[in-house]
Amino acid sequence: MKRYDLIVVGAGPSGLSAAIEAAKCGMEVIVFDENKKPGGQLFKQIHKFFGSKEHKAKIRGFRIGQDLLREADSLGVHVQLDATVMGMYMDKEITVRIGDGIQHYKGDSIIIATGASENMVTFPGWTLPGVIGAGAAQTMMNLHGIKPGNRVLMLGTGNVGLVVSYQLLQAGCQVAALVDAAPRIGGYGVHASKVSRCGVPFYLSHTIVKAEGNDCVTGVTIAQVDEQFKFIPGTEKHFDVDTICIAVGLSPMSQLLKMAGCKMEDNPRKGGQVPLCDKYGETSLKGVFVAGDVSGIEEASSAMIEGRISGIAAACSLGYITGSRLEEKYQEHHKALNGLRQGMFAPENRGKILKKTEEGIDISESLLQKGYLTADEIEKYPGVTHQKGIHPVMECSQNIPCNPCQDACPKKCIKIGENITSLPAIDEKAQCVGCGMCVAACSGQAIFLVDEDIGDGFASVTLPYEFLPLPQKGDMGTALDRSGRPCCQAEVLNIKSLPAFDHTNLLTIKVPAEMAMNARFFKQI
Amino acid sequence: MSSRIENHPILGKPETGRKVSFTYDGKKYYGFEGEPIAAALKASGVMVHRYTQKEHRPRGIFCAIGRCTDCVMVVNGKPNIRTCVTPLEEGMTVETQYGVSSIMQKRKAE
Repeated sequence: MKRYDLIVVGAGPSGLSAAIEAAKCGMEVIVFDENKKPGGQLFKQIHKFFGSKEHKAKIRGFRIGQDLLREADSLGVHVQLDATVMGMYMDKEITVRIGDGIQHYKGDSIIIATGASENMVTFPGWTLPGVIGAGAAQTMMNLHGIKPGNRVLMLGTGNVGLVVSYQLLQAGCQVAALVDAAPRIGGYGVHASKVSRCGVPFYLSHTIVKAEGNDCVTGVTIAQVDEQFKFIPGTEKHFDVDTICIAVGLSPMSQLLKMAGCKMEDNPRKGGQVPLCDKYGETSLKGVFVAGDVSGIEEASSAMIEGRISGIAAACSLGYITGSRLEEKYQEHHKALNGLRQGMFAPENRGKILKKTEEGIDISESLLQKGYLTADEIEKYPGVTHQKGIHPVMECSQNIPCNPCQDACPKKCIKIGENITSLPAIDEKAQCVGCGMCVAACSGQAIFLVDEDIGDGFASVTLPYEFLPLPQKGDMGTALDRSGRPCCQAEVLNIKSLPAFDHTNLLTIKVPAEMAMNARFFKQI
Repeated sequence: MSSRIENHPILGKPETGRKVSFTYDGKKYYGFEGEPIAAALKASGVMVHRYTQKEHRPRGIFCAIGRCTDCVMVVNGKPNIRTCVTPLEEGMTVETQYGVSSIMQKRKAE
């Protein structure tokens, strides 16, 4: 039996972060992961993250994963892959299946960072090949370069459902519809809008009646549900699809903790069975810590901070750092963590129906039910102004902890302030130069550059574009509005791709002046 | 129709291992070395990986990360291999699993 200062279970964002901090304190650390590659789900996250600089905002998830692996490597953290931790017993002993054998290890401290697993819903035909988890879709397209299907229906409009739908479009799949039994979209409005403007319809208060097909999925029927989630007869809708993607939430994978005798609670706000733990992530078992989704479902940015906290706490528990040093570092991490837990989507707001933003502006019902803001609503937000010449139009209408746009503008046109959940506002005294840094920096792809009058009754709209093939200057096409409906003819004036934009291309189209505040996407003919 | 992504707007051209052949239910197929067997099958349009023991219902890829065991097949004669996490090797024999065996093994047993 080999003994380590610290055993970390799970080499995802929180586990790696924990191992990194512990190794920095001088601990001998081993990380076990059942997968063949480390990084957990980070390498499937190809979108830009939210938050502020300290949370690695506007950096794509897989790049954050690469940075973490480099950092862990440089500190000599040993990651044992293909190693499934099967059991945790008294005195912090664990059994690990490596290859065909079972090995015994003992940790003087243990951090459980096993993450979460996907929830499922059942319906007739749910076991047919072609019904897959949203995570499976991400794995296939973003890790293995395989399209999960040609035409997909997504069930679930939380951030996973929204983000994966957009990624399916990026991979070249068609998304037939997004469906959710809830009456409102669960994820960020900006994520919904990205999908909506591509022409994908949302069906809220709907769910799947059945998946069709003999040997694999050939179609799906959905229907509207009432307040008791019972189907309303006569509301059935059929879609020809070959894939049904399920994104109905995650549950903490806390089995090891339960097995070891940690005090657990069933907490719906945290996604299910979670261990009780203190502010450092220490469970009821002394020296056993948790970090990331296993202690409550959030996202990778907060998981990484929780990991860092549990890593230093484990180091302190064995005397590698002093209690005052722990407290000092904890405060720093806690501030960053707290920053992410603010705004409309904060854990304490889960399940609540908010009517107004922090600024007192009505929250758009259209956004929550259809996935897009209406042209009238858009005018109410502080990021939307009308000026002479080119200027940013920020269609950011929900209080999300995110502020890269403020830092991106070299001319300081964009103001969010200290509170990073505030909606971005335009400083009309500052002069926009049309560089487009804000457009590329916005993780929600909610910023457009608009010049309402470029002469001859035309306007220009610059929009973020992350699809292939890239349109070329001079190409003619159709401009789509926020709902994805064609609104006018458009000509490509420019396409700008800079390394600083990190694959968010800036597409500038020419549209009739009256469409300046409507045209938000471009479809090639 | 191949379901491989040729060029991705964010990830570019997928990195692949060398092209290798394997057999699926006796027929010759191609995939890339090191990719999951399930990925190679999916790229060739294979949806059904196995039929369940009692009710003979088809199953295919479901979680793609080795948790659900829906995608298990008979690989090199060994049943219950999770094809979504088992890397493809040159010359592998991959067979649809009926219950807990391949069709040949099943016939032999009967």
